[in-house]
Amino acid sequence: MNLNIDSKSPLPAYQQVSQSLRLEIVSGRLREGDQLPSIRDLARLLRLNPNTVAKAYYTLEQEGFIAGRSGSGSWVTYKPGRSDALRRAMLEDEFRGFLQKAMALGFGAADIKKIVARFVNHE
Amino acid sequence: MNDAIISVANLEFAFKRKKVFQGLNVIFAQGESVVIAGRNGAGKSTLLRCLAGVYLPDRGEVRLAAGLERRRIGYISDSLSLFEDWPLERAIAFHVRTFGAAAFDDRLLKNLGLSGRERIRQLSAGERVIFHLSLILSQQPELLLIDEILHLIDPYIRELFIDALIESMASRPVTVLMVNHTFNDIERIPERIMIMDGGGFILDESAETLPQKVKKIVFRGDVPAGLPCLFVRESGHIRECFVYPFGKGLSRRFSGQFQDIGLAEIIKAFIGGAYAQKRVD
Repeated sequence: MNLNIDSKSPLPAYQQVSQSLRLEIVSGRLREGDQLPSIRDLARLLRLNPNTVAKAYYTLEQEGFIAGRSGSGSWVTYKPGRSDALRRAMLEDEFRGFLQKAMALGFGAADIKKIVARFVNHE
Repeated sequence: MNDAIISVANLEFAFKRKKVFQGLNVIFAQGESVVIAGRNGAGKSTLLRCLAGVYLPDRGEVRLAAGLERRRIGYISDSLSLFEDWPLERAIAFHVRTFGAAAFDDRLLKNLGLSGRERIRQLSAGERVIFHLSLILSQQPELLLIDEILHLIDPYIRELFIDALIESMASRPVTVLMVNHTFNDIERIPERIMIMDGGGFILDESAETLPQKVKKIVFRGDVPAGLPCLFVRESGHIRECFVYPFGKGLSRRFSGQFQDIGLAEIIKAFIGGAYAQKRVD
């Protein structure tokens, strides 16, 4: 699992946790039936308030990514590929951030297209 | 908001001639984790001691929630009043008896290689903090008051402390009030950020929304007028300006130049701002 909390990000910590878990699940690194760490273990690992982790898990449950039974932990319930729209939305989110940086550096659409094409072809 | 676990009404408190509080009001909710920051002498530790019952108010009162017993309030500070010549085992037995604690968890002490036969005065500053925490946790506290201790202890012991704190928060409902200078390791634990100055609160915000309201912007030369600057840090002709409250309107006027900053830096800016204000007064 690859979970990082950026303490400089203005995004609330629970959203950072749910976002990185969503990414793990959608990308298939966490699969249907995999058990998630307990709230206590994840809170200690990431040095977060247990309430923050609980809130992230609750969000993911509402979205249908995981299911939990109190006292016995949480499992991934999402089958990858079920929703391409979601993966696309996540990619677009990442891309929007990249575009904003590129534009702040003064690049236009043509430059950006060229760079993307070069990277896709060679790397 | 949950019901209050402890609250302060019209609190007045003074050390001889120095008035610390002149009518302070504040409510802490059941189960929340709060950090109280502020410059030296702001009144943070005095408030914690009033809450702990170490100091009695001159006027006003400290109200505990119905059903909250004194022995369920744990107060941890650097001035630990322990019996210096006692071996740890004896202090543990005494503590368990006095507070009717169910059991003493010695995992933290074992982790530091302490057997229990050492005397309290032989402990290092960090070992003392961990020992005190172990005693307090055996009381199964519903309210933990933690007074500026993290900066006294080395990074490994600080991790042990934070792990134990998170563990206890995950095990049962506990309200945590921390007074702190060092934020790097704990900045994601508090849910409510309060800054105290001159015996009152100058900030009381949720940790979730505060980072959206404070931004940094750097200028070469003068800071433009009309920017709500909390604090300005100068280095040569560079001015680092901490803006609060930040809003969309500002973002349009100074497109894309605002930087996100973490809670540790946000709190530093508020404290810096309090000093700057004091210089003006």
